[in-house]
Amino acid sequence: MKIPPTLSTVLSNLFKKPATNMFPKTEPVPTPEGFRGKLVYDVDKCIGCKLCVTVCPAGVIEFVPEIKKVTFWLGRCVFCAQCVDVCPVNALEMSKEFLLATYDKYDDNLRWLKNEEIEEMIEAQKSK
Amino acid sequence: MNLLYATLGLIALYIYVSFASLLWEGIDRKLVARMQRRVGPPLLQPFYDFLKLMSKESIIPKHANKFYELAPVLALAVSIALLAYTPMGFAPLFATKGDVIVFIYLLTLIGFIRVLGAISSGSPYAQIGAQREMIILVSREVPMMLALFTILWRLNNIGVEKPFSLATFYQRNIWELGTPLALIGTFILLVVFLAWLASEIEVGFFDIPEAETEVAEGPMAEYSGRHLALFELSNAIKMFVSASLVVAIFFPWGISAYVGLNGIPALVVDVLFHTIKVFAVLFVSMSIFRAITGRLRITQAVQVFWLRLFPAAIIGSLILAIDLLGVIA
Repeated sequence: MKIPPTLSTVLSNLFKKPATNMFPKTEPVPTPEGFRGKLVYDVDKCIGCKLCVTVCPAGVIEFVPEIKKVTFWLGRCVFCAQCVDVCPVNALEMSKEFLLATYDKYDDNLRWLKNEEIEEMIEAQKSK
Repeated sequence: MNLLYATLGLIALYIYVSFASLLWEGIDRKLVARMQRRVGPPLLQPFYDFLKLMSKESIIPKHANKFYELAPVLALAVSIALLAYTPMGFAPLFATKGDVIVFIYLLTLIGFIRVLGAISSGSPYAQIGAQREMIILVSREVPMMLALFTILWRLNNIGVEKPFSLATFYQRNIWELGTPLALIGTFILLVVFLAWLASEIEVGFFDIPEAETEVAEGPMAEYSGRHLALFELSNAIKMFVSASLVVAIFFPWGISAYVGLNGIPALVVDVLFHTIKVFAVLFVSMSIFRAITGRLRITQAVQVFWLRLFPAAIIGSLILAIDLLGVIA
């Protein structure tokens, strides 16, 4: 039987430091340029052109006609960034945030423009 | 020896070996992780695993028969009984003439009970694992027995109190023979024993019955909770005992005599030194072997046993026998 060629590698590895990023104790591996993390929505810039609704393959984005804005549920987002590319006023942006685990799929962190916010905006529009 | 003291000794030995063997599993996982440039689990991970399994619900399959629940208990009972016949740096507690047969019988019986438990679970995965385990079981014991009996016979010829007992290793050892021929034979048998040890604890080439990536944990496929914990513990003890056998045959030297101790402290020091030697043997035969080799197919493993290890054991034994005859100076 031959000695497996891995023997020397394995033994020399014993004296090397582990090539591990101990994540919860340290910072996670830095995200690269152009990383597609959590989608960020700038409500004030939005002009309600509905392009993002058209282009979204996952049906994340819903148009609210009363206020001419959109609302999201990121639980379904596939992070393709097509809405970011298509938005004419750059109201949408991919952030670097990727630690999005929650206990609740309707968590506030995964939503943009919650129902009460929408109602507030409608009220505000009426009072104008 | 007084029966009461022997019982207390067995209990103490059981507690000690449970801790030492689980600790070695932790060390082994850490070492293999470092060999693969990982950090690995904490050293006490096997203890956490054991406690977690003990606290979990044990699920009994609908098609399992009575032996399914009995097998883990029997396996642990046999491995505890085995400790009474294991050389642990001092002569086994119940050492007597010819106890090597009891030792081999009990060591094989653990594997056989695993097979019975797997067959009783009524799962086809477990049964495939059981078949493989059975095939390995009948193949691996032959070279080991030949080598072990040869060495004991050879030691018997240079004069020991209790022939064919595992206690003989602490009176005379195989390196004492000293002749070049005996050294060659002993080295061949050492290789046979290291390979046997790897197959006994099912690592590296011989991880065939468990084969977790292939037949879903093999014999242990259906076991969960307390029953699995008992099997894990008995496996750990069996690992320690198998390595103890190799250490006792080839490296039986104690240090208590050199330090100048006797009585109870000498026993403790010898057991600790024996544990270190066991860890060293397991490091070669388990950690390194596990890190550098993959699994064989069951047909290849049988070939390794019958076409490589068995002839090697025969050659080693013949060399030792020729040395005794003194045909070649």
